[in-house]
Amino acid sequence: MEEAVKILIDELRVKIIDTLNLEDIVPDDIGEDDQLVGGELGLDSIDVLELVMMIEKDYSVRIDNKELGAKVFANLRALADYIQEKSPGLSN
Amino acid sequence: MTNIRVYITGTGLITPVARGVLETKTSIMNDVRGIGPVTLFPVPRDRSLPVGQIHESFEADGLPRTHQLALIAAKEALADSVGPPDAIVIGGTTGGMTLTEEHLKRDDTSRDLFKYHATGSVAEYLAAKLKCRGPVITVSTACSSGTAAIKIALEMLREGKAKNVLVGGADSLCRLTYYGFNALQLIDPAGARPLDRDRRGMTVSEGAGMLLLEGKEQAPDNATAEILGAGLSCDAYHPSTPDPEGTGALAAMRAAIKDGCISTSDIDYINLHGTGTIDNDLSEARALDSLFAEDKPLLSSVKGAFGHSLAAAGAIEAVISAMGISGNFVPGNAGCNTPDPELHLNPVIEPIERDIQTVLSNSFGFGGNNASVVMGSPKETRAAISSQTPLPLTVVGCACITGAGKTRMTEKAVSESQSCKGILSEREVSKDLSPKTVRRLKRLSRLALSLAIAAHKDSGVSDNPNSIFFGTGWGPLSETYDFLTKLYESEEHFTSPTDFIGSVHNAPAGQMAIQFRSTGPNITTTGGDYSFEQSLMTASLLTKVQDDLILVVGADESHEILSNLFDDSVSGDRTPADGGGAICLKLERTSSGLRLSPSFFEYSKNNPSIISSLIDGLGGPDGIKLKYGAVLAGIPGSHREKGEEQLSKFVAGSGFEGPVIDYRRLTGEFASASAVAAVLAVCFAREGKIPEALCGRKSPHLNGKGILIIGLGKFVTAVEVIT
Repeated sequence: MEEAVKILIDELRVKIIDTLNLEDIVPDDIGEDDQLVGGELGLDSIDVLELVMMIEKDYSVRIDNKELGAKVFANLRALADYIQEKSPGLSN
Repeated sequence: MTNIRVYITGTGLITPVARGVLETKTSIMNDVRGIGPVTLFPVPRDRSLPVGQIHESFEADGLPRTHQLALIAAKEALADSVGPPDAIVIGGTTGGMTLTEEHLKRDDTSRDLFKYHATGSVAEYLAAKLKCRGPVITVSTACSSGTAAIKIALEMLREGKAKNVLVGGADSLCRLTYYGFNALQLIDPAGARPLDRDRRGMTVSEGAGMLLLEGKEQAPDNATAEILGAGLSCDAYHPSTPDPEGTGALAAMRAAIKDGCISTSDIDYINLHGTGTIDNDLSEARALDSLFAEDKPLLSSVKGAFGHSLAAAGAIEAVISAMGISGNFVPGNAGCNTPDPELHLNPVIEPIERDIQTVLSNSFGFGGNNASVVMGSPKETRAAISSQTPLPLTVVGCACITGAGKTRMTEKAVSESQSCKGILSEREVSKDLSPKTVRRLKRLSRLALSLAIAAHKDSGVSDNPNSIFFGTGWGPLSETYDFLTKLYESEEHFTSPTDFIGSVHNAPAGQMAIQFRSTGPNITTTGGDYSFEQSLMTASLLTKVQDDLILVVGADESHEILSNLFDDSVSGDRTPADGGGAICLKLERTSSGLRLSPSFFEYSKNNPSIISSLIDGLGGPDGIKLKYGAVLAGIPGSHREKGEEQLSKFVAGSGFEGPVIDYRRLTGEFASASAVAAVLAVCFAREGKIPEALCGRKSPHLNGKGILIIGLGKFVTAVEVIT
């Protein structure tokens, strides 16, 4: 399970950079526990919504309200855990 | 000072609640709610959300829904008037998008199918149908468009530029806004519940509201209300989220109240923007808390019943407000069961009969665009209007972009009579922009931002511009195309919220405002090849504060698919081209600098004497010879024959003997090429001569005279650059 989450985290790093066109950032710049929104990455609410679309499209996981979004997008680990738990393709 | 007051003498409505003004009043008093499932286009079951759809079938005839709605409301507003209106000002966001989406989905590539795509084509269609000779202006400031249009019309009338103006807003439902607002999680699945504790968002709807405004010294008998004043502001905060403190909203309301020479205690009722989104209602409530120290007047939002019809909303609600004044009622706040205690607002839930004399109506939109209008009973005796007259616009800086490069490269190419056609690389366009700022911006916003920064830099003025005026023929094509492509590829499941926010015509102007923290009026106009002229005219009407610094920008992007489909001039030229121009202007009563002045704007259709009017408007043959040393003529490729004929008539009729430069042959075909021409005219006037390569055998020296930039074809426009 831990290994699966690690793989997912690495995958998400790349997808976040691609989806949000973060030109000056490489995957390793996004730490597992770094604050995603309002942190050094400079992401805001529109980026979160862009990621919401990507996550529903690629993992069939829907994050359809702000309160849930704030929790799930706290950091990369929280996001990966949530996807792991909810994605029909990834659950055990 | 002016003695002209502005009265509403005709109104028209079509909304999901009712068709017709009288019918709408009945529906309002019976608390009818026009919200239900969407049937206008198919949506996947798990993407079905309530909308405000008008369930009435219209004659199709290849005409988009927005155009039909606009005409229905306009005809009602003009039912009792004699003759066409002098001018038309319409708020719009998506124009013919509903049909365009159908055709793009089916991969239909016949250009004829897209002839009504442009947002500006709605106003133009009305002008043709109603035989209005213009000016014709389309305001596209997202959800505040309808109210911003009223402000522009109000100033036109106060300035005596027209005796009556048809003003309004129209938007139909389309996929772009339906899925776009959904991608932003701004739709309430239960239907909009403005101000309610459990509200979750808005309901997108459609409709049209039109008003005939007349400028008179005394109230005409048929006046239902007077437009007392209106105010505009920009949050300069975020592309789509309102400033949580409501600072911009407060500024717009204060400006409207000041403009109307009333005080907050005069206001009997506030028609709220009240969309039902968590952020909007909170921000508006905070602004109202600041505006009213003690008790607030009666207030409500009609969007729980009517939905949010975007550009139409402000105009529809202005009509409802006028109806409330003349018919003694206050509409209810449908959808609100338990007012949110955090808002400190106590809305009128059910419609009530009440004598109301003065109303404040709010509209706020994407790009932080805020507009408020105050209206009053025409019977009231009121203080004289203290409206200031506009100040001349002095050029302090300019910049342009063409296929040849930025300003210096463009000027160099043109001075050698070399073509500037082409598309400057994205890298070159974005060279002076911070990567963080432009990460989410596509071509048009990058072009506009780059131009604005360069023009401001050229001015050498340390103050930031306070107001932004932006003209674009086609808006952000890349975002529009990418949004729809992603939507269709995922069978209408996924799309990009970023592309939606970027797709609105006023997105570039919003970016410029954020860049410069410009909190004054922020207006985007659109009308094909005459969009930049519209923005200049709007700037000259709306800016009145001595020493204010403003930016007027015109830009269009070339898109490999959409430009060809939409713009007949583009499809007729083998070399794609884009770019634009920006001019930084200072408002100065006395100045020795160059001045930019929009001086003519009429519609060619039903207007056989348009060139004579132009010549007369510019001071006749003697005035023209005395004032101008050169003419830059803009003839869009799609109207080449007609434009050349108009130009010959102008030269023959005015006896003008100086050089006449057909600049589109150099800049290439794009809607805002006239913005480049304006910048070139400024460069030439600074030099005191026209480059010899452009003059043929004529004298290149201006000898202290100015330059005239004329637009020809569908419209005839004139802009003067004078010393």
